[in-house]
Amino acid sequence: MSDTITAAHAFLAVMRRDLHVYLSYRTRLVSQLMTALFSLTLFYYVSRLVHVSGFDSHSAYFGFVVVGLSLISVLYSCFSIPELVRQELIAGTFDRLLLSPFGAIRSVIAMSLFPMAFSFVVATLTLVLGCVIFGLQLHWSTVPLAIPVMFLVLLAFLPFGVLFAALTVVVKQGSVGTSWVIALLSIVGGLYFPVSLLPGWLQTAAKLQPFTAATDLLRHLLVDSSLGESPQTSLLKLAGFAAVLLPLSILILARSIRLGQRRGTIIEY
Amino acid sequence: MTQRSLEMTAPKLQVTDNTKLLTGATGVASDAAPLKLRALRKRWRKDLPLVLDDLDLTLEPGTTTWVGGRNGVGKTTMLRVAAGLIEPDSGRAEVWGVAPAENRVRYQQLVSFLPAGDRGLYARLTVRRQLEFWARIAMVPRERFRETVEHAIATFDLGELAERRVDRMSMGQRQRLRIAMTFLPDPEVVLLDEPLTSLDNEGAVLIETAIAEVLARDGAVLWCSPSGEHLDMTFDSRWIIEQGRLVAA
Repeated sequence: MSDTITAAHAFLAVMRRDLHVYLSYRTRLVSQLMTALFSLTLFYYVSRLVHVSGFDSHSAYFGFVVVGLSLISVLYSCFSIPELVRQELIAGTFDRLLLSPFGAIRSVIAMSLFPMAFSFVVATLTLVLGCVIFGLQLHWSTVPLAIPVMFLVLLAFLPFGVLFAALTVVVKQGSVGTSWVIALLSIVGGLYFPVSLLPGWLQTAAKLQPFTAATDLLRHLLVDSSLGESPQTSLLKLAGFAAVLLPLSILILARSIRLGQRRGTIIEY
Repeated sequence: MTQRSLEMTAPKLQVTDNTKLLTGATGVASDAAPLKLRALRKRWRKDLPLVLDDLDLTLEPGTTTWVGGRNGVGKTTMLRVAAGLIEPDSGRAEVWGVAPAENRVRYQQLVSFLPAGDRGLYARLTVRRQLEFWARIAMVPRERFRETVEHAIATFDLGELAERRVDRMSMGQRQRLRIAMTFLPDPEVVLLDEPLTSLDNEGAVLIETAIAEVLARDGAVLWCSPSGEHLDMTFDSRWIIEQGRLVAA
C-alpha cells in the first residue's frame, strides 16, 4: 500500500514538473488561447460561407466543427508524448528516469498526464469561447456526460502516443511521423467534416479506428448531433481500443527500452 | 581539494542487514557485496574490439575504489553497466546479490549514478523543485521526503540557490546539484563519473562529506576519471582499465 502511494506521488510529481515547466514560459497559455480563438473565428466564417449537405443550418456545421477542434487538442496531447521523450533523451534526463526506482515506463505514462489534463482544459475553453463569442448552442442536459466519455477517449488515444514514444526510443525521432498521422486521423476521424463525404474505402477506415467513435459520441453529447451507430457501440469501441492497445503499447515500449539497453543505444539521442 | 582522507573507518561487514533484506528469508549469499561486476563483456560493434573483456570488480562494504584509464577505454561503459543503464553482452552486475533483470526497482533503489558531463537536469526548474522531483522519482518514502530534500540542500550547500532556475546557474553550481541528486536517495552504491568536473574546492569537499556518509552506512563508492593525479583522496583500491580489463594502478 505504501509503495502504491509513493508511486502515486511520483506520478503526480511528473505532472507537477510539467506544470512548472509550462508556467515558466509566461506567454504560452495566451498563445494557445489565441490559436483556439483564431481557429474558431476561421471556422465560424467558413460555416457561414459554405453550405454543407447534411447540415440544416450554418450553426449546425459550426457546432460540428467546434467539437472537432476541441478533440484535436486531445489528439495533439497524446501525440506530444514522443516529442517529450525525445526532449528527455536530448537533455539526458531520460537516463535518470530509467535509472530511478519509478522507472522509464511509468515515467513515460506519467509524462502524458499533464498534456492530457491540459488538453482537457483547452477543449473546455474552446467550447466556452465558442459559446460566449460565437453563439454556439450546447446541449446542456447531456454535457456532463461528456466528461467521463472524454476520459475514455483519452485512454483510447493514449496508446498511439505510447507507441510513437517506443518508436522514438529506437529511432530517436519523435515528431516526424506524428504530424502526418494526426492529419490522417483528423480526416478519417471526421474532425472537420462528416466521414460520409469520404470515398467508400476511407469510410471503412473511419470505422476501424477510435477517433470517429469519439467525435460522434462527443458531438452527440455536446451539440446533440445524430449518431452513426448506437452510443453503446461507440463506447464499447473506445473501451476496446483502450483495453487492448494500452497494455500492448506499454509492452512495446518496454521492449524498445530493453532493446536500447541491450544495444547500448539508449544513451544516444 | 583538501588533504582530507577518505581512509575507511567503517567496519568491513561480512553480512549486513541489507543483504538479508535483499536475499530474503531463504538465506544470504555468502559472497554478496555492495557491487560485483563479474566477467563483463561489451562490444559496441562487431568490427570493433571488446571495450570490456571479462572485466571483474568487487566493491567491499565501506570502501572507495578509483578506476582510471585513457579516454574511450571503457570506464563510462563499465559504470553504465554497473548502474543498470545498459546491458553487457555477457557477464553480470549485481548489488548485494541482486541483478537489475531480477529486481530492477530494488537495484535502482540501491545504486545511484552520476554520469559525466552536465546533462540530466531540467533547465527551467529551480534547484528545490529539481530535488523534490528527483526524491519523488527515487520513491523516497513520504515520511522522509521533506527531510531528505532539506538534507540534500544542506549537505551540498545549495540553500542560497534553492529558488534559482538551473539555466541561470553556473556550470559548477549545476554540477553540485547533479551530485546532490546522486546522493539524495541515500544509495548503498554510488557510481561517480568524473565528479570533479567544473567543481571548485568547496564543492569537492562537499563530495567527500557525502561519500563519508555512504561509507558510514557500509555502502561503497566507485569513482572513475581519466587520471587520478589531481585527487588528494585516499582510495581503498585503485585500478586502470587496459584492453577491457582492470589492472592495479
